[in-house]
Amino acid sequence: MDAVPIKMLGMPLVVRISERFTLLRNASLTLLFFAFSLGALAQGTDAAQYAAGEKLFKGNCASCHKPDKDLTGPAMAGARARWEGKGDIYAWVKNSSAYLKTGNPYANELFAKWNKSVMTAQALNNEEIDAVLYYADNYVPPAGPKPPIDPNPKPEASSNWPWLVVIGLLLAVVAVSLSGVKSSLTNAVREAEGQEPLPDMTTGQKLRQWAWNNKGFATIIALFVVVFITLKLWDAAWVIGVYGGDEVEHYKPEQPINFPHSLHAGKVEAGNLAIDCQYCHSSAAKSKHAGIPTTNVCMNCHTAVSEGRSPEGTAEIQKIYAAAGWDPAALKYTGKIEPVKWVKVHNLPDHAYFNHSQHVNVGQLECQECHGPIDEKMDVAEQWAPLTMGWCIDCHNTKDVKMAGNGYYDEIMARLEETDMGHSELKKYLEDDKISVRELGGWECAKCHY
Amino acid sequence: MPLLGQNITRRMSDNKRYWMDLGELHQQPEAIKGRENEFPQELAIDQVLGDPSFGKASTGRRDFLKFLGFGIGAATLAACETPVIKSIPYVNKPEDITPGVANWYASTFYDGEDFASILVKTREGRPIHIKGNPRFGINRNPALTKGSINARINSSVLSLYDNERLTSPMSKGAEGMTASSWSDADKAIGTALAGTGKRIVILTGTVISPSTTAAINALKAKYSAPDAAGVPATKVDHIQYDPISYSGVTSANQKSFGKRVFPSYDLTKADVIVSVDADFLSSWGSTTENTWQYASRRQPGKGMNRHFQFEARMSLSGANADVRVPLKVSELPQAIVALHAHIAKGTGSSASGASAEVMAATETAAKALLAARGRSVVMSGSNNEGVQVLVNSINNMLGNYGTTIDLFGHTNFHQGNDAEVARLVENMNSGAIGALLIAGVNPAYTLPNADQFKAGLTQVPLSVSFSGYADETASLCTWVCPDHHALESWNDFNPKVGHYALAQPTIRPLFSTRQWQESLLAWSGSSSNYHDFIRSTWEANMAGLGYTTPFVDNWNTALHDGVITMGGASTEVITFAGDIPSATSVAQKSGEGAGEFELSLYTKESIGSGAHANNPWLQEMPDPLTKITWDNYVCMSPVDIERMGLNMYLGEQAPASLVTVKAGDREITLPAVVTPGQRTGTVSIALGYGRGANGERVGRAACTTDHEGNFVPVGKNAYPLTTFLNGVVGYDVLNVSVEKAGGTYPIAITQTHLTDMDRVSIVKETNLATFLGGEKRAYNHPHELAVHEDVNGDGVINALDKKPVAEFDLWEEHPVEGVGHRWGLSIDLNGCIGCGACITACNSENNISVVGKDEVRRSREMHWLRVDRYYSSATTKESAKQDGLGKIDMYLKMEVPEESPKVVFMPVMCQHCNHAPCETVCPVAATTHSNEGLNMMAYNRCIGTRYCANNCPYKVRRFNWFNYVSEKFGEVNPAWDDLGRMVLNPDVTVRARGVIEKCSMCVQQIQEGKLAAKKAGTPIKDGAIETACSAACGSGAIVFGDLNDKKSKVLEMATGDRSYHMLEEIGVKPSVNYLVKVRNTEEAAAHHA
Repeated sequence: MDAVPIKMLGMPLVVRISERFTLLRNASLTLLFFAFSLGALAQGTDAAQYAAGEKLFKGNCASCHKPDKDLTGPAMAGARARWEGKGDIYAWVKNSSAYLKTGNPYANELFAKWNKSVMTAQALNNEEIDAVLYYADNYVPPAGPKPPIDPNPKPEASSNWPWLVVIGLLLAVVAVSLSGVKSSLTNAVREAEGQEPLPDMTTGQKLRQWAWNNKGFATIIALFVVVFITLKLWDAAWVIGVYGGDEVEHYKPEQPINFPHSLHAGKVEAGNLAIDCQYCHSSAAKSKHAGIPTTNVCMNCHTAVSEGRSPEGTAEIQKIYAAAGWDPAALKYTGKIEPVKWVKVHNLPDHAYFNHSQHVNVGQLECQECHGPIDEKMDVAEQWAPLTMGWCIDCHNTKDVKMAGNGYYDEIMARLEETDMGHSELKKYLEDDKISVRELGGWECAKCHY
Repeated sequence: MPLLGQNITRRMSDNKRYWMDLGELHQQPEAIKGRENEFPQELAIDQVLGDPSFGKASTGRRDFLKFLGFGIGAATLAACETPVIKSIPYVNKPEDITPGVANWYASTFYDGEDFASILVKTREGRPIHIKGNPRFGINRNPALTKGSINARINSSVLSLYDNERLTSPMSKGAEGMTASSWSDADKAIGTALAGTGKRIVILTGTVISPSTTAAINALKAKYSAPDAAGVPATKVDHIQYDPISYSGVTSANQKSFGKRVFPSYDLTKADVIVSVDADFLSSWGSTTENTWQYASRRQPGKGMNRHFQFEARMSLSGANADVRVPLKVSELPQAIVALHAHIAKGTGSSASGASAEVMAATETAAKALLAARGRSVVMSGSNNEGVQVLVNSINNMLGNYGTTIDLFGHTNFHQGNDAEVARLVENMNSGAIGALLIAGVNPAYTLPNADQFKAGLTQVPLSVSFSGYADETASLCTWVCPDHHALESWNDFNPKVGHYALAQPTIRPLFSTRQWQESLLAWSGSSSNYHDFIRSTWEANMAGLGYTTPFVDNWNTALHDGVITMGGASTEVITFAGDIPSATSVAQKSGEGAGEFELSLYTKESIGSGAHANNPWLQEMPDPLTKITWDNYVCMSPVDIERMGLNMYLGEQAPASLVTVKAGDREITLPAVVTPGQRTGTVSIALGYGRGANGERVGRAACTTDHEGNFVPVGKNAYPLTTFLNGVVGYDVLNVSVEKAGGTYPIAITQTHLTDMDRVSIVKETNLATFLGGEKRAYNHPHELAVHEDVNGDGVINALDKKPVAEFDLWEEHPVEGVGHRWGLSIDLNGCIGCGACITACNSENNISVVGKDEVRRSREMHWLRVDRYYSSATTKESAKQDGLGKIDMYLKMEVPEESPKVVFMPVMCQHCNHAPCETVCPVAATTHSNEGLNMMAYNRCIGTRYCANNCPYKVRRFNWFNYVSEKFGEVNPAWDDLGRMVLNPDVTVRARGVIEKCSMCVQQIQEGKLAAKKAGTPIKDGAIETACSAACGSGAIVFGDLNDKKSKVLEMATGDRSYHMLEEIGVKPSVNYLVKVRNTEEAAAHHA
């Protein structure tokens, strides 16, 4: 299974994450408990009603209301107070349309104020309504934003560096002074022996002379240097390549919106949202392009979700609003749109035809098989696979065709079984007990190049 | 050459000494010293270095070189940076658009000349391809579920992206045309219209749009009503004008039946078709309908129709005819008179005579007609009223009205009235016209009296053209209010009684243009847009047609299907009320006054009346018969060419001779081209060329610039040679002179063969009787090779022991039989009428480059699909034997085509051979075989050795000699600038210089179709995948499918008795097979045994 190495890579991380997460959860629970106790002290009511209200609120009201903020409908906190003496809030909640007909002035005023959007009739009894309102009035926002989960913490920069430099410098100074000492000593000896003192040579000259005297050694060093430089250049050449190869660092350009794939598509257990890839990249099953989600897709959720898990996240969400022309204060579209100019990450080589729907829909591949652990590990999208032809045909060589239950392949199999030539071909195909993509022509030029 | 001299003296030879001058010879010290310098004169170094400013320069030579080197290195490195590509999604995605998936919209094409219900393919909001609507419309072939269209229609998508279209309204001032705005235009034109006390005339092509008529009526209502003071109203007139006139036909119907209409023909019911100079398959009548109806009756068998053609020029219809009789232009009216006499005699009416010669020539046709009363049709291409009254009478006597000809369900085409147009020109010159609004026509180019029209235009205070280009007429108008391109427009049509069609925009307008109907509405005080206007017009009229379902349902149906039918046909009885004697005398008279040469003017399959002359796909499409691109010319018979001593054989190095054709005071000088089948003593010239002759910007492909930058129109305008007699425009000139003009002219011709030299393995033809005889070997003889085994079991191994070529394999077979798919094409030579719609469809689908005349002349055209045309020769091996001719004489005689040669059209594309000779010679394996039977081409691998092209027996491989997508070819190839690039199919690579390309059997369509089937989880349905050529072929000649699919049509055709492979004897086992052409003639089969 291809996913094995990924899992193995992830193992220590999961451990690390869960450790951090437990800590966090404990902290927030403590905070929450603290808040409850405070609330309980002040109001003299119990956490049970709060919890019941919360459950009802999330089930029935949250799509249009927030406890503390206006959404499609008004903020629910203080609703009971606002209604006080102006009408029957219970009747209003149970069936607002019917209540409007009674001619209650406050109800009609509300209706007009909120763009005449009809509130859905709620099948709640008075106690339940009480609980919801209680929850709203005593709403305590979740304790502080969670620190963004960094599944891939960078190892802290090694602090040995400056020391090494200092030691290196010291050694160099020592070496220079020693060589000075050595030459003065030599000269002194020569003087004592009545010889001419050595000519005063520059460092370069000395070096050359040393090399001349130690040819073998110098050659080996020179060889090493040349090989080292060549290798470095070779590496560098890979990086400057247009599309790169296996050795390239994964291409990860800066994006106009710092979209965290891990937060949106990551696992729930890791505190993420686990949204299906194809919810946003919906054309992957239909078209050659997986498609960058259009801004209106973001707004499906982000009309309601206006706050991120960190101030930075909230700022990023504001960028979506700017693009979609959404005024979060007035909860209205202004009509001033500005398309998001994403930077393309996956650039297929020219003249190659690739179709997502063939692979996602027919081949039943998981997105991660080519795009890597984008849901778990990548905050901003990066290129995982090299996207070279060798990489493509490697997969075509090993992957088997998902034939079961597909009428198209039934017909192909029937034809293979019908004729002599088909029979012999089929036998060849089935030598390894499966029919690979390559055997059905997946290595042919015109499958991808036309 | 001192330096050379030195070397020579030293090394030239051992035993000889060469010397340069005496000084050297005698070893003068000055000479020896001077030899040290390469240049004897002192170089001006001191002068340069002595320049005081030079010394101040801080950059030395070495520094300069260092910087240069560094600069180049840095630039190279910088260029290697990964390019940052932006990817910008929609903010709000339209529901029906998925990037990467094509959307097809049902729409309608109508330009006054052609009408077709079409489907427009759009990718990411750009229309890129047009095909016929396979489900609805009058051009739909129900048997094939394909819509029939022609090259002009599917090429029209390219004209959308022409960067010479006008981008805003233009007004004419003292300093010529200047760009203006719509509000200024509306204000100025509104004031001028209101202020003029004279007549306002709207001049259009034939309007078949109910809503356009309503918009014209709205303008009429606004300006024709008397004002409050009782001042007489300004009169608004609507005059319709067809560049190719049918005035004579419609007025003959007026005289014969009291209906000024063009009837509707139903050729599916016609057993016998007699056409006298009516090129109904290419240019006469409703051609998109005629072609499929005609082809549907060309299947060999009992139901095959019989087609007689009488004509002077070899037309496309004549080339398809079973019996073609070449007649002089002056004899054509006689032919109708003679036919009339024959039929009248046969039906018991009185007869009036024609010349005995013509009487004899028409006798067989008349007999066939009489045998098929009520199941025949007679058509005449003449625009002479008398001739057409006689044609009506013939059809009436034969009882064809109500069966093959429908007058009640008539078409609404060709309503133009030449007499009214002529009166308009007179009125313009007399200053009676206050305003002239011109839509969809170009009279300054197409009128016979264009000069008078131009002069008259200066007398009209307000002239408005709605043309999208500053063309011949528009550039003379005071205002140009550019109309949308048809693909940006809404419109409705009523092509026939009871048939309604809608055209919908498939792209947002690219420029600041406005639909001309909307302009009319604006000037008549309405602010409605044309879409709403059409809807309200329909809503108002639908109730009258007896519709009970809600309007919105009908509207949505019409929009989705492109077509809706409503209103039943009438069943009233028609009575012929024509005056035969007077018609006969008018007809006879129209054939009088013939001179040495007679001229007939015609329109080509590609260019038509000239409205599409700016379309490079059409300009480069070879003429079906002459195979000439990018020019018009004088068609002459081989006899005349030889007699006048003109160049007979044309090619890259053999230019055509120029001749001058004089008709009265008008003359035209064009190259003379031999066209076998042309009646000796007649010449023909195509209309529609010579656009932009005065430097008008009519679109770049219509004219080229020469080395000095002058505009050179493509071809020459022949409209001035048309005549205006008895109130109609005529296209025959009976007395012209043809003279050698001296000089030659290079012609870009794609096929130079004149005859099929009895090589039966390319085209096979037989007659109906032989085919019905049922013995395959009689008409489709398989190729056999002698083998060294006793095949026939006679006990001896000799030359009689043969096996068919199909049983031999030079190489191991590719495993394609019964394994997966095996794609193939079956091409029915009986169905192919040679129209060339497949060529332009292929251009559009496969991003095929236009290369221009000069390159075509060097045989470098890039078409993946060509339609070869073969002429037959009267001499065959059998007849030569009978005449006792020697071999050399026989072949020489074979080279002379018949006076009226038989013509075979043969579409040829890559044959996707199973033993492909190209694959074995490619040194880099750039062309290989797929297990689906396709011969694949990987452009990235190709290194351009051209071995494959060399080894291809069918010569279908094309080499990119240049980067045709570059500026260099922008002159002829406007499809490749930033705007033109929008027409490219994003699924097909644009090929670069140095690679070979060829037909891929539209592998992108195959892949798409397979994917669709896999996603749906069903086997591929036969017919679900179409190549561009097969989809464009409404006559069903090209059929694509899976040869491994037992139920496929392509397999049925491929295994039938008529099926054969081109050049079967070479044993390359192609995936393309052809079906023997069967002609419905009675002559014995002239075929090898």
